[in-house]
Amino acid sequence: MSFVPSGLSSRLSCAVLGLALCVGCREKNGPPRPLQPPQVDTAPALRPGQPVADVTTANYKIDARLDPNAHSITASQTLTWTNRGASAVEMLPFHLYLNAFKNDQSLFMLSSGGQLRGARIGNDSTSWGFINVESVQVAGSELINKVRYPGPGADRTVMELPLAAAVAPGATIEVSMRFTAQLPEVFARTGYWHDFHIVGQWFPKIGVRAGAPGFEQWDCPAFHGSAEFFADFGTYDVAITAPNTHAIAATGVLTDVKDTPDGIRTHTFHAEAVHDFAWMADPFMLTLHGDAHVDGGTVDVRVLYRPEQLSYARRHLTAAIGTVELLSKMLRPYPYSVLTVIDPPPEATEGAGGMEYPTFVTTAGDHALARRGLRLPEFVTVHEVGHQWFQGMLASNEHQEAWLDEGLNEWVDGHVMESLYGDGEDAIDWMSWRANITALRRAFASPENSLAPIATTPDAYVDFDAYAATTYGNTMFAMMTLENIVGSDKFLAAMKQYAQAWAFKHPTGSDFLASLRSSLGNIDWFVGPALQQNASVQVSLEKARCAPLTPPRGVFDDDKGHRVITAKDAPSTGAFRCEVVVANRGGVQVPVEVEVEFADGTTERLVWPQQTGNWHRFTLEHNTPIAAVRLDPDHKLVMDNPFNNSIRSHGDGSASLRAGARVAFWTQSLMQVVGL
Amino acid sequence: MKKQPGMLELFAAGWRGVTRYTGTLFTVFVAQSLVALICLLTISQVLAAVFAQRPMFDEGVRGDLIALVWAARYGSSALIASAWLVAGVALLWAIVSWFLVGGVNAVLLKRPEGRAATARQFGAGGVNTFLKYGILTFLSVPFLVVVLFVFGMCATVAVPKMQYALTMPQLLAPLALALGPALLLLTIGWTVLDYARLDLSQHRDSHELGAFSAYFRALRLVLTRPLTIGHTLLGWLAWLGIGVGYSYIAYGHPMLGAGGAVTLYVIRLGVQLLRMAIKFAVMAGQVHLHEQRPAPQRDVAADIVAAAK
Repeated sequence: MSFVPSGLSSRLSCAVLGLALCVGCREKNGPPRPLQPPQVDTAPALRPGQPVADVTTANYKIDARLDPNAHSITASQTLTWTNRGASAVEMLPFHLYLNAFKNDQSLFMLSSGGQLRGARIGNDSTSWGFINVESVQVAGSELINKVRYPGPGADRTVMELPLAAAVAPGATIEVSMRFTAQLPEVFARTGYWHDFHIVGQWFPKIGVRAGAPGFEQWDCPAFHGSAEFFADFGTYDVAITAPNTHAIAATGVLTDVKDTPDGIRTHTFHAEAVHDFAWMADPFMLTLHGDAHVDGGTVDVRVLYRPEQLSYARRHLTAAIGTVELLSKMLRPYPYSVLTVIDPPPEATEGAGGMEYPTFVTTAGDHALARRGLRLPEFVTVHEVGHQWFQGMLASNEHQEAWLDEGLNEWVDGHVMESLYGDGEDAIDWMSWRANITALRRAFASPENSLAPIATTPDAYVDFDAYAATTYGNTMFAMMTLENIVGSDKFLAAMKQYAQAWAFKHPTGSDFLASLRSSLGNIDWFVGPALQQNASVQVSLEKARCAPLTPPRGVFDDDKGHRVITAKDAPSTGAFRCEVVVANRGGVQVPVEVEVEFADGTTERLVWPQQTGNWHRFTLEHNTPIAAVRLDPDHKLVMDNPFNNSIRSHGDGSASLRAGARVAFWTQSLMQVVGL
Repeated sequence: MKKQPGMLELFAAGWRGVTRYTGTLFTVFVAQSLVALICLLTISQVLAAVFAQRPMFDEGVRGDLIALVWAARYGSSALIASAWLVAGVALLWAIVSWFLVGGVNAVLLKRPEGRAATARQFGAGGVNTFLKYGILTFLSVPFLVVVLFVFGMCATVAVPKMQYALTMPQLLAPLALALGPALLLLTIGWTVLDYARLDLSQHRDSHELGAFSAYFRALRLVLTRPLTIGHTLLGWLAWLGIGVGYSYIAYGHPMLGAGGAVTLYVIRLGVQLLRMAIKFAVMAGQVHLHEQRPAPQRDVAADIVAAAK
């Protein structure tokens, strides 16, 4: 007798395996085929009538050629840099960001452990990425032998070029370079995944001179795992040559397309008033277009996606258009004529998704579980497009004060999501579940556990998670709390003034706070502890008790001598004297509202206005005792933990009984599985 | 050899078993429901100790997702305690079930008449096979290890595909790959256990099987008669279907208030009773098929040698 499974069981196994292997495989897009030449953009890079500041400090002309098989780029670039400072410059530092992925001894790899946002750098020989500068010329002289790499250690993400002649204040210098960029397997915002190429931080990029006039210093640190980018504004003219099988998208507008007979195509892009340039090459990407109506004009919003991601691309497009239109009203008009959103293939998302560059962002969140109503894809797009303002135009220093772009962007994202998708259901509106994005973020965060204040440089956090939780989350909670305290209209007006005053400049945290002060008055009582110290809001109910209210009793002296008043002489009035003691252990001394509900159903609102200590006692009289106390009943204190803010004086176990019944039902089901 | 029964015959036997021994079914169900009720009250007390004064927990129970997350964060000790309680109850029930299944098997095999005789048969059957069923459970552990191994292997292949799935078919197909083979093997394992238990409950005047022999005899039966697996599988699918059907109907009907809570409790009891009836019917069908099996061969020579010693 054979023990080989026969009949039904084997047939079932085959069916399951077959289903999984056949249906589970994604439909292949086939071999790359030559594409029709794309139409060039007729609109200028900047929409007409957009006032911008002096934005031509660092201008680049780059001629790049992609080898999609080797995933490498050979390029030449000419940088025209103007010394805007009041002191002469004898050395030019350049970021060579791609060298972060050259080996495991770079500062990036040492500080990140080789992983970022769920992605890990590969271990194959083809996984590493680097940039090799082959030639540096100034005024026709070759200076490649003079460049030096200040480290630290084996890090080569910064290259210093000593100059033969100093660049005087107001003078301009032209630096020509030839370089080869080898892309890593997609990781930390750049690289390739099969045919898909996302090309960011790929060219030698000059640092920024910052500081008081006459005392400027170069800001060009080595690339750290928790840090992002900082650069001067300029004009970019970039020609990208690649096989005509590849769709190319990039920062700025497409001004020219040239084909050669051997199947090679050159796309020329032009961008103005931007501080970075990134691009994408992929043979299968299609484009969805939509118009965002801004300030009497339109912005051409494009989403590039692979065919199998069409349904998600539509969602990204709606989110991107909505964000551009809303933030143009809330902060300042979007000045560029195009916005390109790249929806990377799912397999490349961890490395390539969720990144912002001027006029060009990558999104993420496409997954079968992200059903309509589960708005992770939309949120990623809203967030990345929001960066067009916070860091794109308000070009703060990301490796010094990341909260100024990531944190403020998170704050504005909450407004955009709520406006686009409805209050209370902007994050989740699926089946019977509803959730607001800010409340959801807050429910999973622990700002009270933060080890460092918000105003901390990214490289000073314990790790990337601590950096992300504080920089993104805590800043958002603090800004929302401040907004709720001072009033939303007033706060939005203050943010609008900040955006308009500092667009196309490099605002610092001090500039931001000074701008807020000019609009809101003294806010140091809040921003001092909330941003610069590691303080939070931790409101708690310490006491809520009532005692029957009686007239005075005991022995009293008057003209006639002692007078004894007993309970019989002075019966209870039937009313109650109650005390409510509220505390705030968090250190940010915010006004606290308290709602007291009495047993007869009436409520009374109390306010502990500007805190003078860590606790406050309210005394009140009422006909019935207190039934419940709600601290911060309108949920204004987003920094606070709301769970402890609503307390009943007497326990009510009905919800527990209901929950217990549900658990018991599942327990009984489990009992039937494991036993009879 | 008797004619081998088909699926319909097993269903009919199942129906006969349920209708003839409804009292036995109810008795076991009441016992199970009492344990679940104790579980309900205990968990309610555990939760009330932490949440009774926190209205936000009430909102969470009513379906507010955010409030639920907060409650889970700040009452995690109560939730962990409840989870351990559930695990303990399940383990206890698994052991108690050695007795209960032995009793039900004895009743279905011997077909006693009358309430008293049925009760006696149930008790005697449960006691007689309790330890043997325990040994049988331990014998089936290696099979469970195989199931876990297969699940691990399939999950390794399936998870990367699920991670990047864009559509529900792309997600569900690897999920089926990850779970399907392991669940199928688990069903086979359970079916083997069921038939081995029947062999042990089947008192034979001439000789009795040990747990080891019964297990391998059942394994041979199951692997050579796919009907046994199909029958068990259909039983579990029906059991699952009732749960899914209940969830579908209950969706959107929160049944708030004391009246709603009582109604919900009664409906849930009805669902559990229906599911237990299905399990009972599957057991009755298995008894019917078992009765068609030839008795295990007796090694007479070995018996003589043993007697001579």
